[in-house]
Amino acid sequence: MLERHIQLLVTDDAGTEAPAATRDRLKVNFPAGATRRMTTLGLLVGSTLAPLEPSEDNPIVYASGYAESCALEAFLDSFPAPSPTLFQTSIHPSAVQQFMIGRQSPVREFLPLSGSTLLAFHAVRACMLSPAPRVILCGGEEKGTWLLQHGLASDRTFAFAASLGKGRADTSLGRIVIEASDGDAALGLPAFFDMLHKRTPFDGLVAPGWRLILEWR
Amino acid sequence: MPETPASIRIAAAGCVTPFGNASATHAALLRGECALHALPVRGREGGDAVPLALLPGRDLDETAPPSWMAAVGALVEGLPSGDWGTPSRPVFVTGSNFGVGGLYALRRTGDPAFGVWGAPPTCTEELRRALGWGPNVSILSLACVSAHLGLLEATRLIHAGLAEEALVLSFDFLSPFVTGGFHALKILNSGFPAPYREGATGAIGLGDGAAYAVLSRDRGDWRLEGQSVFNEMHHFTSNRADGSGFSKCLDSVAGSTRGRKVWFKGHGTGTLDAGRMELDAAAKAFPEAPVVGWKGSLGHTLGSCGLVEMAVAIESIRTGSAPGTIGAGGAAMGPGVALAHFPTGPFDGVVCASNAFGGAHACLLLSHA
Repeated sequence: MLERHIQLLVTDDAGTEAPAATRDRLKVNFPAGATRRMTTLGLLVGSTLAPLEPSEDNPIVYASGYAESCALEAFLDSFPAPSPTLFQTSIHPSAVQQFMIGRQSPVREFLPLSGSTLLAFHAVRACMLSPAPRVILCGGEEKGTWLLQHGLASDRTFAFAASLGKGRADTSLGRIVIEASDGDAALGLPAFFDMLHKRTPFDGLVAPGWRLILEWR
Repeated sequence: MPETPASIRIAAAGCVTPFGNASATHAALLRGECALHALPVRGREGGDAVPLALLPGRDLDETAPPSWMAAVGALVEGLPSGDWGTPSRPVFVTGSNFGVGGLYALRRTGDPAFGVWGAPPTCTEELRRALGWGPNVSILSLACVSAHLGLLEATRLIHAGLAEEALVLSFDFLSPFVTGGFHALKILNSGFPAPYREGATGAIGLGDGAAYAVLSRDRGDWRLEGQSVFNEMHHFTSNRADGSGFSKCLDSVAGSTRGRKVWFKGHGTGTLDAGRMELDAAAKAFPEAPVVGWKGSLGHTLGSCGLVEMAVAIESIRTGSAPGTIGAGGAAMGPGVALAHFPTGPFDGVVCASNAFGGAHACLLLSHA
């Protein structure tokens, strides 16, 4: 059994909010002028990460299946004169980098994961395998436009960030456990996000041979 | 405090580059051959000629299914057979591009056949099915240090007793998406790369590459003794001017090399500032180590460079000869730069380093078990 305690958790479900409205809502969390080149996912992930105040010794595990879908779309549309800025921001873990670079905040270990039906499990497992006392688990997606029509982008916009510690404290919000178990199942990132966002308890299979237990206080 | 996992064995490793497999690549590097050729940056749509190293017979323009699939299939044919993708034998797929060229082709042609290869999850799923793996396939992507993260996670999983062995597969194949992007940043230009050499301007070349390593707790002729990562988070495309990011990564492995003689396989893309900073940090961490860089021949194989060049480093130790730094000319930036090949016999191991966008750094210590 591998266990971590949830010390802090911040979630943001943009729901049906228009991207412009999401950006307008979140820009107050960043220095004036800093948001112009940030992606919507960067604003969301940055806004959830900020209250956790990640330090250099806190590994960051980042989970996103499709990541910077809108920057990818815009970069592809910028040909035959491709945009260097959009090229930079279209790389997979740019949402976290936009925030951390903005803060000039180095981090020893940064593990960006992608995937689909096992992504949540792989991200939680990466947190469990880290030897660090405190690990930051974060993730999110942004809704695509023409990539979504081809099944190559998320149909939702959301983000989360959780601080996971090794020991239980009086202020712990809950407990997350993975343990070996017979059976086969899958748990995508959106479903995992919903559990975090709604503080839903869970005890079930999430990957071949693995179950997840999520308990809230 | 930096954390480096305990040592892990490499039971098998291999790579494919425009020269062929690891043995052929190593032999070509020893001969000083260059795989880079001046090709239009946007493939059939033209543009400036830039240094690219493509697999033989492969065009920059995407096909569906991708033309690189045959190379990946041939590469993994050399793998020890087994039930890859099961809980006890998981797979870690890494890279920075996956099939992103498919997205470029999709947008240009509207043909949905390109799309399925375009995103990391869908591309990896297609690959998984084609190679007959089980579902336990993780994907890690952090630009040009991606392969190192796969090795790190696989090591941790084995040490936790959660896997018997793990396969790390990394692949990056060029497309107008990535060549256009680097060209827009102006570091991919008409100049050919000259890693660790003085010059008026820096330049990189890009190359196709794929590689794998099978990690095992106690089986294999090779050993990873230290793995280190560090992320500056200073700027998207440049490093802190004091070079501290390089040092913070390398210093974590330096302790494992005390009292031992190592050589240093650097990142060495051909950019000037990063080359100088890397050399300076390497000289401090490993004072007597000769430094080599092979991207002046192979080009930068992006997220897979760490694993591609580790496979060549293994071949260097196996054959007893390490290729020198290959590049377009100019004086070496420092006395530590090895321009000619040298025997590996007097050395106890090699430190292999990679760097990436976001000021990401990674390195590992490789030695004979």
